[in-house]
Amino acid sequence: MASLESAPAVALKAAPARSRVPGGAALGLGLLVLALLPVLMGASNYMLGLLISALILSGVALAWALLGNLGGMVSFGHAAFFGVGAYASALLSAKLGLPVLLTVPLGGLVAVVASLAMLPALRLSGPYFALAILAYAQIFRILATEASWLTGGGAGFQRYPGLPNVFGLDLASRTGSYLLLVAVVTLCALAYLAVRRSHVGLALRAIAESEDATRVVGVNSTVLKSLMLLLSAFITGVFGALNAHIIGFLEPDYAFSGVWSLMPIIAAIFGGYRTIVGPIGGAVIIYLFDQVVAKSLIAVGHQIILGFVLVVMVLAAPNGLLGLVRKGDRHA
Amino acid sequence: MLELDAVTVRFGGLVALRDVTFTVQPGEILGLVGPNGAGKTTLFNGISGLTRVRGKILFGGRDVTRLPLHRRARLGIGRTFQIPQPMKHLTVRENLAVAQVFGAGRHDPARIEEILAVMELQQQGDRPAESALALQELKRLEIAKALATEPKLLLLDEVLAGLESQAKRQFAAKLKELHRRFGLTIVIVEHDIETISGLCSRAVVLNFGEIIADGTPAQVFRDPRVVESYTGTAHA
Repeated sequence: MASLESAPAVALKAAPARSRVPGGAALGLGLLVLALLPVLMGASNYMLGLLISALILSGVALAWALLGNLGGMVSFGHAAFFGVGAYASALLSAKLGLPVLLTVPLGGLVAVVASLAMLPALRLSGPYFALAILAYAQIFRILATEASWLTGGGAGFQRYPGLPNVFGLDLASRTGSYLLLVAVVTLCALAYLAVRRSHVGLALRAIAESEDATRVVGVNSTVLKSLMLLLSAFITGVFGALNAHIIGFLEPDYAFSGVWSLMPIIAAIFGGYRTIVGPIGGAVIIYLFDQVVAKSLIAVGHQIILGFVLVVMVLAAPNGLLGLVRKGDRHA
Repeated sequence: MLELDAVTVRFGGLVALRDVTFTVQPGEILGLVGPNGAGKTTLFNGISGLTRVRGKILFGGRDVTRLPLHRRARLGIGRTFQIPQPMKHLTVRENLAVAQVFGAGRHDPARIEEILAVMELQQQGDRPAESALALQELKRLEIAKALATEPKLLLLDEVLAGLESQAKRQFAAKLKELHRRFGLTIVIVEHDIETISGLCSRAVVLNFGEIIADGTPAQVFRDPRVVESYTGTAHA
């Protein structure tokens, strides 16, 4: 009898769509229009800088939500993939002279390789998986610090190229970086949508609810969850790499900071981690709120306000902002 | 079709199944009977791969004792759960689609519609499995999911429980129809003697994890050990 391993085309084929699911084209177009608005409206470099950071966070939040929504895995260790992608891309471009537009996806691939070490943890569930991946992230921070001959260690690493000029558009400029990030976030969102709409996506959503119910009908849950971990690691690694080339400086305590694990969780839960638009929108809103509002209220330790916001959201709207909006629509 | 050889399951110091040995012939409808805690569901868990067993399980002549759950499902062992386990947030149709794609390795919407029609679930096809279905509908969905994997052997765990006698007879007739229509071999866990007698050609009785009787329903329900296991008193 055929199986996923022998007949991936069947499993990856799009499942019949539900009417309420927005089309991929609509999602992509909506994201593009919303994202291009700041450029068209002539936003300042400061505002574009904030949006660039917000989009980096959006990408990681999307990757985190993909793992949580499709497969039910809660990660506290995405900083590992982020940092590995960042260092890999920076080192490959600096030491081997590879073009940055090649090293960015390679950074994602190296993050995938790094995530392979996490596969045994997929046998764990719930808090045990979360704890295992948290410990794993710390290992990479220590490695990056100790391998100072390669990474510069705690002193940091900065002699590597920035984003290049492509077809006359300077990707290193604020506008160029912003547009590049919009495109990459949109591509990742569409990839997520394609997976979610396939039978693999259906099975993964079912695994998150009841793993035995899916295994008993022939779903190899370990393989599917592994694939999602690898995809999530790849996306996170790519955004780590992009961030590295945008800011032009890396040090282990920054690249592997717990912030890259925690902020995506807050953003995804705030926006609605079961949706695709939720984590992206949540990241933009949370980041701008933190930088513009919270920071002006409490200069040091402003993240405490984010914690408060998260608690309120979890209690008042467990399905996130998007869930709240949809609920409002139904009651309207 | 299915051969169990000295199948034993231990949970710590508790022996849930001890040296269970019997064979199920192709096309047979076999009733698995026994009081609560006899080991019936544990046996289903062992056959389907949810619980590790000692001993040997052969399916279609192939040793499946060490195969994981999903591999056994793809080989043709379908099962239902006593407490229905739908894929909650998916619709009824999506439940069947996942089962068909991963269990049978193909996507055939016409076949899914056929199964929905047979199981009288067409009206509920686009409803979320958990929130919109009543218990009996969920039980029918359990069977429909298993059928979507195109099983050769179907393990039914108390699918008739909770039904009144008239509804039970109708459902038993439905199971006979499934048996004939899909060319199935069925092992069914059921407490009701009348249902087992009307549905099954053979019954195996478990008590405290051991087989105490194996024969036609008429034979086993007259067996003093079976009567004792149910009533707690020795047969006069």
